[in-house]
Amino acid sequence: MNKLRGVARCGLPFPPPTKIIRFQRQGCTNRPFYHIIVADVKSDIHFPPIEQLGTHDPIANENNEKLTSLNYERIRYWLSQGATTSRPVQELLGLAGFFPIHPRSYMTAWRNRKLAEETSKIETTGTNEQEKE
Amino acid sequence: MFKIVPKLQLLSKYEAVNFTKYELVRFRKRKPIHLGTAKSKLFRIPERPNQPEEERMELLRIFNNYRTTMKSLRNFFIVNHSSEFVEASEDPEESRRLFEEDFKRCSAINDQWNKNQKERREKFFAKQHEEEVTFALNRIELEKKKAQELQEAIEEIVRKEKEECKTIITPDMLDKAIEYALANPVDYNFALESNGEKIIGRNTKPSSNQEDKIVAKQ
Repeated sequence: MNKLRGVARCGLPFPPPTKIIRFQRQGCTNRPFYHIIVADVKSDIHFPPIEQLGTHDPIANENNEKLTSLNYERIRYWLSQGATTSRPVQELLGLAGFFPIHPRSYMTAWRNRKLAEETSKIETTGTNEQEKE
Repeated sequence: MFKIVPKLQLLSKYEAVNFTKYELVRFRKRKPIHLGTAKSKLFRIPERPNQPEEERMELLRIFNNYRTTMKSLRNFFIVNHSSEFVEASEDPEESRRLFEEDFKRCSAINDQWNKNQKERREKFFAKQHEEEVTFALNRIELEKKKAQELQEAIEEIVRKEKEECKTIITPDMLDKAIEYALANPVDYNFALESNGEKIIGRNTKPSSNQEDKIVAKQ
């Protein structure tokens, strides 16, 4: 079956994805909360999922932690069934160490670093000028 | 077409004509999209984000790496998971036996679930039935009570009417009533004082004689 896979799609490496691992928003207004679910690619966002694989809380708690839970065993199973992953889930799994770190994570990191440097520079120069005065 | 833009007539047939430059006939109210934004309205177009070449190349590199890694990872997951089944199915007899064992185990669990669910379902439906019956009985009693109250109210009205009927003069009692009226003439020419005294007669004046005064019934 694995050998035939390439033939069926004119040399493309994988069968067309029918399942996707993605976020499903579960919170209320102004309070996002996400379930990590596996669903049909074309299913509506409000449809009940095939299976829940974890949760993600994008708002930091009192200890400044963003809590996430993941069921690696089932994620591994669904990936073996040919399920794809959405970009946010890829980023999250990259940060969790399950996937390689997503390029966007690197990009946001270096952009934030650059911005922080610039702001710190402006602050230091601003304070110096005030001291001189 | 050429009559509308006479300048076009001067062009030789070998010269290429860019018709998109000209708006020959305005057949719709909208300005055609190929004419572009007006010079005075160019400020409306937002500036393109300026991405440094270095950053672009770096992103291209790490995205290429990422895609390659992810492809191999997906292959790894697919092959790795399916290899378990391949190992189990080397000997067809053995794999058949394993499958049947697994099926028996799973079906036993399923039967247990079905049994529990059946009990719960029966309990639920019995309770629901009982509730419905009690509700219906309560409704019947309530309706009966309502009907009884209505009947009592009607009977009360009838009773009152019957009592009032006794004073009505029927054709049989007409002669008696006439005789009685003639025998007991009533003089309605009287006045009442504020303290309840009745002064009989049309032209009488109030006197101190107590016999003339009759205390009116309160």
